Amino acid sequence: MTEKLLSVSELSVANAARPGDAPILDHVSFDVAPGEALAIIGRSGAGKSVLGRSLMGWTEAPLTVTGGSVSLGGEEVLEAAPDALRRIRGTGIGYVGADPTRVFDPTLPVGRQIAEKYRAVRPGVSMKEALERVHELFNLVRIPEARHRMEELPSKYSGGMIQRAAIVDAMIGETKLVIADNVTQPLDVTVAAQIIRLFQDLRERLGTAFIFITSSVPTIKDFADRIVVMDKGRIVESGPTRQLLEAPQTEASGQLIAQSPKIWGTTAPESLSASDELNRPAALSITAVRRTYKVPRKDKLFGSVFVQAVRGADFDVYPGESLAIVGESGCGKSTLMRLLTWLEEPDDGAVHFHGKNVGTFTKKERFDLRAQLQLVLQDPYGSIPAHWTIGRTISESLRLHSDLGGKARRARVEATMAEVGLDPALYDKLPSGLSAGQRQRINVARAIVLEPTVLLLDETFSALDPMEQTPLIELFRTLQRERAITCIFISHDLALVRRVASRVAVMYLGRIVEIGSNENVFGRPLHPYTRALLSAAPTIEASPYDPGECLVDGEPPSPIRLPKGCAFAERCPVSRPECLESDPMLRNTLARGRIACHFPLARGMLESAETKEEISRVG
Amino acid sequence: MIATFSFLARRLSQGALIVFLAALIVFTLLRVGPGDPARMLAGGLSDQASVDALSEKMGLNDPFLVQFGKYVGGIVLHGDFGQSYIRSESGLSVGGGHGDDQTRSDRADVLSLLGSRLPLSLGLALAGLGLALLVSAPIGIYAGLRAGKWQESLSIMGSSLLVSMPSFWIAGLLVLLISIKLKWLPAVGYEGPRYLILPAIVLAIEMAPIFIRTWSSAISSMTRRDFVRVAPVRGLGQRQIFSRHVLRGAAVPFINTLGVMLTSLIGSLLVIEFVFDFPGLGKLTVEAVLQRDFPLVQAIAIIISAFFVLVNIAVDFVSGLFDPRLDY
Repeated sequence: MTEKLLSVSELSVANAARPGDAPILDHVSFDVAPGEALAIIGRSGAGKSVLGRSLMGWTEAPLTVTGGSVSLGGEEVLEAAPDALRRIRGTGIGYVGADPTRVFDPTLPVGRQIAEKYRAVRPGVSMKEALERVHELFNLVRIPEARHRMEELPSKYSGGMIQRAAIVDAMIGETKLVIADNVTQPLDVTVAAQIIRLFQDLRERLGTAFIFITSSVPTIKDFADRIVVMDKGRIVESGPTRQLLEAPQTEASGQLIAQSPKIWGTTAPESLSASDELNRPAALSITAVRRTYKVPRKDKLFGSVFVQAVRGADFDVYPGESLAIVGESGCGKSTLMRLLTWLEEPDDGAVHFHGKNVGTFTKKERFDLRAQLQLVLQDPYGSIPAHWTIGRTISESLRLHSDLGGKARRARVEATMAEVGLDPALYDKLPSGLSAGQRQRINVARAIVLEPTVLLLDETFSALDPMEQTPLIELFRTLQRERAITCIFISHDLALVRRVASRVAVMYLGRIVEIGSNENVFGRPLHPYTRALLSAAPTIEASPYDPGECLVDGEPPSPIRLPKGCAFAERCPVSRPECLESDPMLRNTLARGRIACHFPLARGMLESAETKEEISRVG
Repeated sequence: MIATFSFLARRLSQGALIVFLAALIVFTLLRVGPGDPARMLAGGLSDQASVDALSEKMGLNDPFLVQFGKYVGGIVLHGDFGQSYIRSESGLSVGGGHGDDQTRSDRADVLSLLGSRLPLSLGLALAGLGLALLVSAPIGIYAGLRAGKWQESLSIMGSSLLVSMPSFWIAGLLVLLISIKLKWLPAVGYEGPRYLILPAIVLAIEMAPIFIRTWSSAISSMTRRDFVRVAPVRGLGQRQIFSRHVLRGAAVPFINTLGVMLTSLIGSLLVIEFVFDFPGLGKLTVEAVLQRDFPLVQAIAIIISAFFVLVNIAVDFVSGLFDPRLDY
């Protein structure tokens, strides 16, 4: 390497509160050249984030730097005086974290906060000039209506937009290096793909160097020049991206790459023979379900707006199958889940459970339905009461729904714990100290202890890293086989869905736009939105869909002001004038799927016109 | 602009309704309770006929709703809260035994009675509040910035100690020490601003610990917020972070506490003014209740409820200025 922008040598960080433990960072050394894109990968806990922060001179107690140096353009970062450190942070290295929503003061407009920062790191700039500069960069990162957006509070921003604003914040002082720690992790796939493209674009235009920290190898495979692999606080391997991915030299890198999500390289789970499955009466049937929220308007004396969260969802779930509902945030997945579990009632339409309309259930029947239909939640930390013993958490629903005595209940709970792979000895323990994976097992045990027939899994696996995901997915396969449970997965993780679902429903803006077998949806998507989602999915293998051609721009329209025609038309790469005029209905495909699109990607796949009419009459 | 207008219009109309209901309840309670005002005014020795005549003259024989209607009408149309049953224009208590001589014109106008007492109470309240704020802000903010260290513990312990001592006891102690032993300040009555000092100190001692706690917990929770911790990494200076973000964020809980304290201040005034024999609204209230002076009690109740409503609106409005996310 000829020129060095950043040079890290022998950097060590330890936890001062636990002197006996292995160091968090152990003699880490690497360089970054100007304009280079370097990826630091490793599984969670490898010390990547601590490294990223240490490069900024940001180590909070009890972490302490025990040795080594970080120099930026010849200037030592770790020993810089407060003023020098501020200058380095503002104009030398920028930092973008995983949770940009927490970067900004929630009570002040975003643009003003970034301008404030610019003025802090570039003394002598007037507020007007600073705001002008923010505006310029907002345009550069393609935040629409930049002038207006700058004056809005952080809470008005979507995840993708606030991430763009955080990138502006990191780069506004003409920083030479930006550290991006896990920036795409909280984002939807299409938005994450847009952000990666944005990084590429910024790098080309501004010549900024990037350090990209992630546990997801696919995210950086097209972006990074070089990869550094970390494991247990050490750099175990580094090299040019392609070379390292194709021929990893160490076990840690090999595992990371092997566990990276694949979609096309894997096979769909074996479903019960498709026709058999679909000919049985539905376990759960959703017809034309709608849910609209009324939100008062602040800018009018009287009056409110209507948020159409679910706009006529239509699908059946068959006994024993696993159906995945995929879609990006704000598409109505969570509302749909609340409707399915009858935590909320639809404004219109019906939910049938084994042929019976849930809307007509008596109080008693509804109570029994709760035992039949259980929910496994997303957040392994928030969903488990911290002050309850694990046994109590799991047995709570048994106490409500069964008349088992104390001993029998305990026996049943312990058996269930064993079944999900939890040590029954944990019965009297509190959940503190358990890993996310263990906690998710508690959630699963709590859900299946009542022997439900339908399980709803709302992003159950998304909080887990790949190492923890795999065994839990295996557990579900076993449970499903042994107990014949019907599973509904709600997820935005396509690689996961590919592994677990027999059928897939794609949701966009409150509607199902495509539903079909796993093989068909992933292999022969008919809806342009499905294809866009697939092209954006981060997978280690080459995608059959070119993101440049299929990826959609922008973000979904607001569920408040929906367009007259197809809701996807504005972003659709293949839309035609008709799409803006009329709203496509869900119609059957030859492959026993359904799709809502005027111009599907393969027309021949649709059933004949007669069937189409029939469907529109029925539906 | 429209949002502000809509907020004020909505809250003020809600507030008017609340005050109206409060007036109705007080009016009702005073009338269903024991005691006949006409009998009380006429005096125990008067014959039934003159009591009845007085009763008729005062409109006490009208149906309840007519009485209430006249009362509310008087307030809304003429700002007339009626006349005291007991007090004469001269300020002395009258009634009882005067029999037929009693005419309405002798009796003090409720509004002017209140007007003569209110400034004193207001002065006392402001002095106490001001003193409490002056002392608590620096201590509380400093303790908040030193969260987890001994400075914070000290301020919490000190506040707990002060807050657990009843104000009348502190009052007694201060009177004993400062007025009786040291003879520095007068203790009872009111003959000039010097008479404000002791009661104001007692009020401040009662309120300051709560402000200290509010400031220190608000500031320390702000300093733990992610955006405050990340701010130095973004390149902001410590002073800027404190004044632009920490203080701003802590202002909202502070303003809410201030609102609560303003309303509880009224209760404190009742006690303190009574203890110091301070001729303010609080003492007037206590006397009016003991003397069954219905018009006065009613008027005070209505004014207090209006004050509550206005303080709450102001608190929500000002909080909204500091944190625009708050949906008022």
